[in-house]
Amino acid sequence: MLKLNNIEVTYLNVIRVLHGVSLSVEDGSIIALLGANGAGKSTTLKAISGLLHVEEGEVTDGSIEWDGQRIDRKSAEEIGKLGIVQALEGRRVFGHLNTEENLMVGAFNRRDTNAIKQDLEMVYDYFHRLKELRKNTAGYLSGGEQQMLVIGRAMMATPKLMMLDEPSLGLAPLLVEEIYDIIKRFNTEQRTSVLLVEQNVRIALSIAHYGYVMENGRIVLDGDAEFLKNNEDVKEFYIGLSAMGIKKSYREVKHYKRRKRWL
Amino acid sequence: MDELLQFVITGITVGTVYALIALGFVLVWKSSGVANLALGQLVLISSWFAYGMLVQLGLPAWFGLIIVIVLSLMLGWIIERFVLRPLIAQPILSLITVTLGLAFFLEGLVSFTWPKSVAALPHILPDQVIHIGTAVVSMEYLLAAAISLILFVLLSLYFKYNKMGIAMRATADDQLAVQACGIPVTKIFSRSWMFACVLAAIGGILMSSIGGITYGLVHTGLKAFSVVILGGLDSFLGAMVAGPIIGLAENVGGGYLTPLTWPGVKDVIPFIIIIIVMFIKPYGLFGEERIERI
Repeated sequence: MLKLNNIEVTYLNVIRVLHGVSLSVEDGSIIALLGANGAGKSTTLKAISGLLHVEEGEVTDGSIEWDGQRIDRKSAEEIGKLGIVQALEGRRVFGHLNTEENLMVGAFNRRDTNAIKQDLEMVYDYFHRLKELRKNTAGYLSGGEQQMLVIGRAMMATPKLMMLDEPSLGLAPLLVEEIYDIIKRFNTEQRTSVLLVEQNVRIALSIAHYGYVMENGRIVLDGDAEFLKNNEDVKEFYIGLSAMGIKKSYREVKHYKRRKRWL
Repeated sequence: MDELLQFVITGITVGTVYALIALGFVLVWKSSGVANLALGQLVLISSWFAYGMLVQLGLPAWFGLIIVIVLSLMLGWIIERFVLRPLIAQPILSLITVTLGLAFFLEGLVSFTWPKSVAALPHILPDQVIHIGTAVVSMEYLLAAAISLILFVLLSLYFKYNKMGIAMRATADDQLAVQACGIPVTKIFSRSWMFACVLAAIGGILMSSIGGITYGLVHTGLKAFSVVILGGLDSFLGAMVAGPIIGLAENVGGGYLTPLTWPGVKDVIPFIIIIIVMFIKPYGLFGEERIERI
């Protein structure tokens, strides 16, 4: 179980981007972290995975606990070994390696050769298309295939917690559904917790158990997926529905803005 | 015509050793994106290491050479740990400049420790003379080329199939993503520097057991530099193909031009090749062009 207790993150010792974020990820659950650009979602993930240190950022206050153990001072490598793996935003495959080599990099810290082979088959089972492309250069795969590859690479580490940063970014709606189905299946079959950062609120809440909404480095709203889906503010500002539940029309003369209740 | 065959054979064999040294450059470039300008100095200092072990301490060749290899591994580790690691995440220019500083430091260290600038190594490889057609070639050259080729094959296999090798290639593509996979990039950098130093050491020993230790070994590094420019900065195969080409151009060109022009024209030829390659094919023969999907 992952717990963030009121963390503050500062970049370069001056730019504070998170102002006290608390959240928790129960074992085996899917948690969605929602919010607009610049809300601090990715920073939160990087704080957890330890990649913050690389970007000269630091957790200046609060603590991050993983199964009762503090991890906010640990390096990305140590955190990875504890079973937390992050798939970065923007389909960052290793362009000059082929598909299979990309997946094998994900299993770098594992010693159990036989289990790695089985897991490779497991990933191919989740993503059939990757199996056909196993010898293709990753840089030339399509966007959807690259996203699958990035998620598959995270799976290869047999994580206890998988953090996905905007897996729907720039993909066709059909492909987004396909990928989300697979994430859901992976979560139920392997009991891996998933921390999902998304701007596509509708699709994220379709598989998540619980969600947090972030704005300006703070969590402004949280609740289980049903609650968030029916929350007027979320509907208005993140799903783009008016209070009546119908799609908003910009043709109407008067479309004054609803005021956010959490401000 | 007689001398042509001679030039060709010498050129190809010497070029293969250049290629070996160039592989060290490609390694560091591929994994960490640092252009190692201290290549020639690494060759120089490890040749002197060999001199220290084999001549000054008088160790048997096999034992002395193992120690030289170990020393160069350590040198690689030290360089990465204390020179390059503090500069991680700094602008690339600082990283390249620091290798230039390293070059001068190593050169100073050599002239401080071994004040005489010329020395001979005992012949490590058998030096019988072999006749190939009209050409006369020393066995040493052929063996040196063979050793370089074998090392090249081993290294290629390592990068293709070994876990660490694959991770090193991945690091070349995306450092942050590698760290997100829980791989310590610092370990990968230090591994690549250690390999580079060993390759420089083997190249240096091969060269200096044939031609003796001179300051000219530093120029070998510069020639290896033209090898990587021609072959492509990030391609092992490129280095291996370009090495013999540079060696050929140098020896054939030098062999025929020296009587017509001035002595030393031989050493200029690799640099002329650099300039031409930069104009025509800046990625080199086998260099990876950036993959960009639009």
